Amino acid sequence: MIEFLSYGFVQRGLIAGSLVAAACALLGVFLVLKRLSLIGDGMSHVCLTGVAVALLTSTSPVYMSIPVVMLSSWGIMKLIQKIRIYGDAAIGIVSAAGISVGLLLTSLAGGFNTDLLGYLFGSILSVSADETILCAVLLAVVLALLLCFYRYLISACFDEPFSKTRGISVEAVNTVLVLVTSVAVVLAFKVVGIFLISALIIIPPVAALLLSRTFKQVLWLSVLFGVMSVWGGIYISFVWDIPSGASIILMNLAILALSYAVGKSRGLNA
Amino acid sequence: MSVVLSARDICFGYTRTPVLEHISFDVAAGDYVGIIGPNGGGKTTLLKVLLGLEKGRGEIAWFGQSLSTFNAWQKVGYLAQKSPVSQSRFPISAEEVVLMGLPVRKGCGVAVGELKEVYEAMQKTRTRQYAGKIFHDLSIGQQQRVLLARALVSRPEILILDEPSTALDAQSREMFFDLLGELNSRYKTTILLITHDTGEVGKYISKFMYIDKNLVFFGTKQEFCHSQSVAEKLGPFAQHTIDHLHNHHGHCPLGENCKECAHD
Repeated sequence: MIEFLSYGFVQRGLIAGSLVAAACALLGVFLVLKRLSLIGDGMSHVCLTGVAVALLTSTSPVYMSIPVVMLSSWGIMKLIQKIRIYGDAAIGIVSAAGISVGLLLTSLAGGFNTDLLGYLFGSILSVSADETILCAVLLAVVLALLLCFYRYLISACFDEPFSKTRGISVEAVNTVLVLVTSVAVVLAFKVVGIFLISALIIIPPVAALLLSRTFKQVLWLSVLFGVMSVWGGIYISFVWDIPSGASIILMNLAILALSYAVGKSRGLNA
Repeated sequence: MSVVLSARDICFGYTRTPVLEHISFDVAAGDYVGIIGPNGGGKTTLLKVLLGLEKGRGEIAWFGQSLSTFNAWQKVGYLAQKSPVSQSRFPISAEEVVLMGLPVRKGCGVAVGELKEVYEAMQKTRTRQYAGKIFHDLSIGQQQRVLLARALVSRPEILILDEPSTALDAQSREMFFDLLGELNSRYKTTILLITHDTGEVGKYISKFMYIDKNLVFFGTKQEFCHSQSVAEKLGPFAQHTIDHLHNHHGHCPLGENCKECAHD
């Protein structure tokens, strides 16, 4: 274990992974309860476009993907709010557009290479110091939003029409939520890969919901499960030499199964 | 009486289908208005347009202030037709739900004064005993009473209620309408209520509004019950409503005040 923690790339991976997992877990609670959790999946597919543009222009995939994904998530919200397309359909449309444009650009860039595969399946080795700082900024922003607008967020999640009659701009709450999630998604693809990001947003909150009786409990447990899965997943990845993204998500699934069993034994999810 | 809510030439439609056409009315302080009409007549849509939940055409003013600039929403209590938590596992207690009715503020703490208001509202709707329970663990009827407490917690001057009794059993329904009647008579709370329970609630309602895309009728209960022309104009639905008002519990809902029934 000490040897595992002595490596610089492991330390960076653990710190960045924990920060981004905590941010995803907190955001995921609201997205799951609003039934918008698959927005993470849609955004992750759009990441492919960002990465492809970055590979084509030899720029940073992370910095290139952030505006692309933010724009797409804004597009999803507009499709839902203005054109009144169902949320899952809007996510499906943008997701398909993200993959197709990404594949097109990848083809123009000369096809798949090892860099792209790293982004698809996650590569904890590739997390830089700058990106770790960005993860810390992201978590700080998420915590600040939560502390300031906790009651706005809960109300908008629980009952949108009533919240509007209290003067809460539900559209603004939703838009901020998905824009911050887009940044989290982009930062998470270095840790778990484009294909598995949505699991980091969905599984810890769902596991927490199975065990919790209060909203604050859900938030704490969700963060705990997200961070635990990153540490456990990276350790397993290191020991068994398997991709970190897969091991992190498998840890998440194990936590989910355990939460279900514990919740059931305590009569919480009967 | 001052005008609490004013609507002028309200129109609303989904794509090419008109739902509401040229509706105008004023609701005075202390009115208890029963909104009735056939299914699909636009009653719920009208309330949504009045509250700004749907964007219609026309002019709406709350307490003399245009809807677009109105921000004193604590004066307006709203209870929708459907409970917001159809999904399970929203881990929120009944008292947290009621708290949402107070003016929202930054931060995540709850002030002692806010909790006092919450418990007072829950006392009124006889839900104080459920305060700490998870909202979705309550029965539909209990949930509805908690949501009424949420609508009341800011001490609104007007209550907007969209078929609030649909999920209630007979006993809860009677208690619910008695409570609304008390709010109207004792606290002078103005009430706009969509209902099909014209019989039970009829004894409290002072005015009827009949919506069927257009505002077909808006006037006092006496005018509604005893106007032959209204009955002819409104057809079988109105006749059914009038019969219901007259026959419920075997007496006229207007009681001794009804001079017309003496001639029946």
